Amino acid sequence: MFELDDFSVSFGSGTALRYANLEIREGDRLGIVGESGSGKTMLALCLMGMAPDAATISGRLSIDGQDMTHANERLWQQMRARRVAMIFQEPMTALNPLRRIGDTVMEPLIVHDGLSRAQARMRVLALLEEVGIPDPPARMRMFPHELSGGQRQRVLIALALACNPALLIADEPTTALDANVALRITDLLVRLAHERGMALVFITHDLAAVARTTENIVVMYGGDMVERGPTAQVLANPAHPYTKGLLGARPDPTAPARDANGKRRRLPTLPGTVPPLSALPQGCRFSGRCAVELDYCATTRAPDHAVDANRAAACHLLGGVKP
Amino acid sequence: MTAPLLEARNLTRRYKLPRTSLLHAASILTAVDNTSFTIRAGETLGVVGESGSGKSTVARMVMAFEAPDAGEVLFQGQNLHSLSAADLRVQRQKFQMVFQDPFGSLDPRRKVGWSIAEPMRAIGVDGDTARRTSEALEQVGLPARDADKYPHEFSGGQRQRIAIARAIVTRPALLVADEAVSALDVSVQAQILNLLMDLQDDLGLGILFISHDLAVVASICDQILVMQHGKPLESGPAAQVLRSPAHGYTQTLLKAAGVF
Repeated sequence: MFELDDFSVSFGSGTALRYANLEIREGDRLGIVGESGSGKTMLALCLMGMAPDAATISGRLSIDGQDMTHANERLWQQMRARRVAMIFQEPMTALNPLRRIGDTVMEPLIVHDGLSRAQARMRVLALLEEVGIPDPPARMRMFPHELSGGQRQRVLIALALACNPALLIADEPTTALDANVALRITDLLVRLAHERGMALVFITHDLAAVARTTENIVVMYGGDMVERGPTAQVLANPAHPYTKGLLGARPDPTAPARDANGKRRRLPTLPGTVPPLSALPQGCRFSGRCAVELDYCATTRAPDHAVDANRAAACHLLGGVKP
Repeated sequence: MTAPLLEARNLTRRYKLPRTSLLHAASILTAVDNTSFTIRAGETLGVVGESGSGKSTVARMVMAFEAPDAGEVLFQGQNLHSLSAADLRVQRQKFQMVFQDPFGSLDPRRKVGWSIAEPMRAIGVDGDTARRTSEALEQVGLPARDADKYPHEFSGGQRQRIAIARAIVTRPALLVADEAVSALDVSVQAQILNLLMDLQDDLGLGILFISHDLAVVASICDQILVMQHGKPLESGPAAQVLRSPAHGYTQTLLKAAGVF
């Protein structure tokens, strides 16, 4: 359905996304994992046709075989109605505080689907029911401030589902939520994707959430897709040095905090910080912070190397040359 | 056994909710209900819970930003909430706080050196503030010359280091960290957690570490207190609480922290 071919986005001298290749099929559940500045949100915005005006785009983005790389806003509006919808991190600010929930969710049905208010109302009741909001007729009349954070996120999911998108992009949908609520929202997203045969792109820095939600993941660093494969395999046995470092830096609740001598164990860390866009190394973006480095890592971009049948990582170390 | 650095005894804090009707008395929300804990020098207590669990109210009472309705906070044996304003001001240099938001907690119009020296000015430390500011910066792993830069010149992780420098510049015995690493990326978070451990080893700090993330708490805390709806749910040595959580709620937190 969705296909990216060597898709790059740059701003002046900085490259936010470099040679992204991605294929999203019907019903896929794909996680995009990375830290701030990795390019994961830029990727989502491009899939929605919402790349900033200042961006220079190259490569190709196609949806259902149609080239959307430089499509105009009209075409994107049609695409957004039917094919792709997005939910955002902050359920507080994404809803208009002055409008009742029902009116907000009815709007796309009336505008895009041309339903009457009565028809739209029936659809909204069904949608709110589907996303697990209790007593939909009463909730439709409420304003956003009368709902909890989790309920608001459910309303946003209902809003995104209003026009039956083939792909739902969820950008950090659980970050602002409490643990309990976050668990229920990820469960809901998985159920909806399954029941509707809808593809889900789940963008997050939360590795635990991505493990619960997705089948495949792409790990991003500095605008590059550095590793991809089935979620469970990548998390259990990462191949790219960045993925290894990222997983290692996660605190492990099962490990004791002090060693045998009563000394506190330090967490493994990645040295240094993510450089700003304009100062990223030309070659592998992770060079300079990588524990094992070849002399050409900083200057030559690493191609995707197969790790096994359905996994790949962009690292020179996997290219047959051993350090 | 040394005397505890901090002892909270049966802390209770109630807030009046806004009245919803003229005919009914305002209802009362018990934000913290009969909660007790101790922290020894060099030890870290983790308080875990979700929003509304009362964990931040606990921090505010320990910092003497607000007084409990019942119970007391003993810091080095002294009841903080019975001190005069002047005595409290002197005591304050011994307990300091690090906040969650590294963007909001530094004045964007002031050089960071000014912000770091602020607690010394508030307490009335004379002389040598410049030297102590440089020392604090070096202790958190930043060059002393960074004192002349502005907050926007730093990344989120560096800003949190600056906030920690500000907290240790008065040479406190207790550090209260309220969600101090929650806004940071995983790899930066690990660096800041390690920094807190280094400082604890070097300075013998007691730390009250407040977080919603059980995995983070597990990596740094000796003792854990789990709170829900203002009530202490379970507490004990970290390893014990994590290995055999007594409450379903703690298990949910563990699941969310993600052992995969």
